[in-house]
Amino acid sequence: MSMAGRTEAEAAAAAPDDPVLRERFEREAMPLMPNLYSAALRLTRNPTDAEDLVQETFLRAYRGFASFEEGTNLRAWLYRILTNSFINSYRKKQRQPVTVEGPDDVDEWYLFDRLGARHVEDSAETEVLDRIPDADVKRALEDLPEGFRMAVLLADVEGFSYKEIAEILEVPIGTVMSRLHRGRRALERALYDTAKERGLISDP
Amino acid sequence: MIPDCGPECEEALREIERFLDGELEPGLRAVVASHLSSCTPCTERAEFRRHVKELIASKCSKDAMPNDLLARVKSLLDIEGASST
Repeated sequence: MSMAGRTEAEAAAAAPDDPVLRERFEREAMPLMPNLYSAALRLTRNPTDAEDLVQETFLRAYRGFASFEEGTNLRAWLYRILTNSFINSYRKKQRQPVTVEGPDDVDEWYLFDRLGARHVEDSAETEVLDRIPDADVKRALEDLPEGFRMAVLLADVEGFSYKEIAEILEVPIGTVMSRLHRGRRALERALYDTAKERGLISDP
Repeated sequence: MIPDCGPECEEALREIERFLDGELEPGLRAVVASHLSSCTPCTERAEFRRHVKELIASKCSKDAMPNDLLARVKSLLDIEGASST
């Protein structure tokens, strides 16, 4: 994939004063901004930082756009800049590595067993989930440790393949699968707790 | 509490996540699909997982972007272009 193998220095060296390049950037990259803003919100968890992160991402992308190979995976390339910027700018400030700690021993079918056990008709367990407000589902995702959150966000919200996620996050595919698996189980557990707090289900 | 109809269920449930993500190689994908078509308990679990995946996708992606963000990025690019000439 073309997004591999380019250094920041090379990207910065490309002078972005070419009107054709600018026009192509506005036509191809800028329309993806709303998606990247949503992703930035999930990562930073507040609108001000999300806006800063999106601005930094597009500025860096524009600086490197001359060396981006046309016709290759622009979306994945932009998300890689977004996640890199997030990790470098925001995590560095806090002097902490990306967190992947989390429950390791979550029951594989925790949510299904608890919702499925009380179902009276086929769709009952999923209806409970549908009634959880959007804001609560977003918060549950945002509360995941970052390593898990990025994997779930890229797979389930943005629809990237394992291979793309591995390239975006620069980790092996096995790591992507493990983070996705553990992240999803932790998220299901959080959704259950949220549904209970909201009174959508009662204690077993 | 997992379905107990033998090693086929075990295999299908072990692969269910990659199956739903469209990441299984064709041979294994056919094995899992074939098992699901004949096993209701495993199908219920698969459908549940699929629903959760769709729920996350639909509920976590509709944030309104601030009106002026696009304009602010454009002016950043203007400055960037001007400073590099």
